[in-house]
Amino acid sequence: MRKIREKIFEILIKILTAFSVLILAFVVIFIFKESLTFFKEVSIWKFITGRKWNPLGPPEELSILNIICGTVYVSLVGIAIALPIGIGTAVVLSCYTNENIKRLIRGILDILAGVPSVVYGFIGLLVVVKFFEVNFSFASGESVLSGGIVLSVMLLPFIVSTCDESMEKIYREYSQSSRALGVSKGYMIRNILLPASKRSILASVVLALGRGMGETMAVMMVIGNAPIIPRLLGKTQTIPSLIALEMGMAEVGSLHYHALFASGFVLMIMLLIINGLLYFIKNKMDI
Amino acid sequence: MNILEINNLNVSYGSKQVIKNLSMNIEKNKITAIIGPSGCGKSTLLSTLNLMVTENGGSFTGEILFKDKDVLSYEKDHLRRMIGIVFQKPTPFPFSIYKNLTYAPKYYGIKDKNKLNEIVESTLKRVGLYEEIDKDLNMLATKLSGGQQQRLCIGRALTVEPEILLMDEPCSALDRKNTANIEEMLLELSKDYTIVIVTHNLYQAKRISDYTAFILDGELIEYDKTENIFNRPKDDRTKEYIKGIYG
Amino acid sequence: MRERLKDNLFRTWIVLSTSLVFIIVVYMFLYIFINGAGTISREFLFSDPKGMPMGSEGGIFPAIVGSLLLMLIACVFASILAISTAIYLVFYCSSERVKRLIHLIIQCMSGVPSIILGLFGYTSLVLHLGLGRSLISGGITLGVMIFPYIQVRVEKTLIEVDKSVVDASYALGVSKVYTLYKLIFPMCKFDIVSAITLAGGFAMGAAAPIILTAAVIFAPVPESIFSPVMALPFHLYILTGEGISLEKAYGTALVLMLILLIINIISALINFTRKEHE
Repeated sequence: MRKIREKIFEILIKILTAFSVLILAFVVIFIFKESLTFFKEVSIWKFITGRKWNPLGPPEELSILNIICGTVYVSLVGIAIALPIGIGTAVVLSCYTNENIKRLIRGILDILAGVPSVVYGFIGLLVVVKFFEVNFSFASGESVLSGGIVLSVMLLPFIVSTCDESMEKIYREYSQSSRALGVSKGYMIRNILLPASKRSILASVVLALGRGMGETMAVMMVIGNAPIIPRLLGKTQTIPSLIALEMGMAEVGSLHYHALFASGFVLMIMLLIINGLLYFIKNKMDI
Repeated sequence: MNILEINNLNVSYGSKQVIKNLSMNIEKNKITAIIGPSGCGKSTLLSTLNLMVTENGGSFTGEILFKDKDVLSYEKDHLRRMIGIVFQKPTPFPFSIYKNLTYAPKYYGIKDKNKLNEIVESTLKRVGLYEEIDKDLNMLATKLSGGQQQRLCIGRALTVEPEILLMDEPCSALDRKNTANIEEMLLELSKDYTIVIVTHNLYQAKRISDYTAFILDGELIEYDKTENIFNRPKDDRTKEYIKGIYG
Repeated sequence: MRERLKDNLFRTWIVLSTSLVFIIVVYMFLYIFINGAGTISREFLFSDPKGMPMGSEGGIFPAIVGSLLLMLIACVFASILAISTAIYLVFYCSSERVKRLIHLIIQCMSGVPSIILGLFGYTSLVLHLGLGRSLISGGITLGVMIFPYIQVRVEKTLIEVDKSVVDASYALGVSKVYTLYKLIFPMCKFDIVSAITLAGGFAMGAAAPIILTAAVIFAPVPESIFSPVMALPFHLYILTGEGISLEKAYGTALVLMLILLIINIISALINFTRKEHE
């Protein structure tokens, strides 16, 4: 009797595990399947190098180069803003604070990480975008820059946590011997810690890039959603917000519909490349 | 009579062989001590006897007979009920003392409250904890002192009524007083149980065991009545080991 | 002399950075609180959206209910799968290769953008399985999103269980299932529940997966799991994006943040109870 129960439990566990693992396969397969229908009509090369996205036509043109650029551009701006702040905070965390303050700062970063994307977009729209409109009398404050600013706040926790751990280790290893030479802490950090942290800083950039490119709501609400060539102060469009916005209005089964899947697929490939890069940096690189 | 017969036992973890061609018999209702330097395979021997070695990534060849039957022919859980083991580090479950002692009986289907209470009480008396905890059966077992925890673990192993009790250096983490308590308890217990105790404390082996086995580098060097091993060791290596520590 | 200058600039940089982090957080919370507090009222919390356009008056009750139900379904779905997978990897899987493969797959899952999961949910659940925009489609999609989060934490908790205590249980001749059920789970229950709670908060705030799978602009409190729902993050998006009502938007944002705060407090309490228990 007991033996049977044991066996049933084991089988159940195995089935549930297999199912969970298969779900990822399903995700990839479904997206790929729907994209394939599109790629039969339009070559993948034209799709990612063409500039016109005009699903309503005529003529119906579906190419996402501008949107790919927008996706990357907004993330890069976000990283450019978040990186110095993040590294500075990580330095303070690893070299200047005691346990209690460390917990406080980490707690605050956790809070930042826990704020929903849509709330970021909301505040971004009402504060950042409005700021540009009011102070610089832009016709519209929605731009790559606004997206970058909002994104940078969201990326901060990732950058800090990636750098913080290794910086703490490096600091512990070298601070004593450096101090024995009578050198200031700042000097030691600038000349030993930061150079030695190159790998984790690079890793954090790549990680943030991946996160930033996949971000939907916050970015969507402040970038203007125009699939044009992105300029820093101009409107732009990213793949996630393209999908979110247009999926609802695309007729199921139409070319437009499949094109949206195809852009999702392209996004996944881009993220795959980035994650591959991250893996390479973490495990193989000798800086 | 022999309750355990070990013939040509070889135990390996992966490619590393830990026990080499070991053969010995354990006599019923006696205390057998296993001595030897650290890392020579004593603990591995114990964990092979109740088949726990395979769960830790080890494998063995050779024959182990429990009551004249191959251990592999017994059902694993059933075998473990009959061959109990107590580890070096006390491992009380994070429950109350009461729950620690009723954990296994409940598994074996004993539901009657009175029977359970009886088991708990008699076990506690057996390991000498009954007075010490002063009826506070609901106290969290982890709040007991090290020595008390270990006695609890021994008691817990007794709740399934094993025939053999394997003990892997049960006193090495305890002070002298607790060690003395446990040694006394073991002498009492050997009337009803067969005890195999691994120890690096030669004084302890001499004090309580009837038979002693000396193991070096996974090989059984000498195995005899305790007084012979300590007073008239036959092998030079045995002589050296005993002299080195016992003096 | 140059060193002095460099040092000062350096210090200014790091102090500024850290202060900026504090300022941003405080600003964000105050902003929402101050602007939204006025909108919160009994009516706002417990009545349906009204007015023309819909939502410019009335309350957000269906959205609150919708969000909570979505979170519930997501948590149940994800926990069952995540806990099973964790148990399998820690207690039943003997092959290192299989373990590594599964870990890799789960790591990939956690990197998939939430909108892609929404796409997946849309095509497979809403369309293929014909479940339509509904609680169940959204709940499952959100469940897939939080699955890696829960799995990683539960696995970590199970691994950290003292192996010698588990061995002691096996040594008594007790079965694996009994050991799991009576010994291991009671020891881990706090950590597991805490992880699920936090994951639930995570699911509740996500808008992208439910845009395509569950949320609609206006719906009553759902009657069954096959009905579409309103949800707080989506409602916030609509109120803002469609310019319906800034005032209500602030209120919605505040309610969402407050619920998340409560969830986090519950999780912290669970952790606190665990410390007490030890």
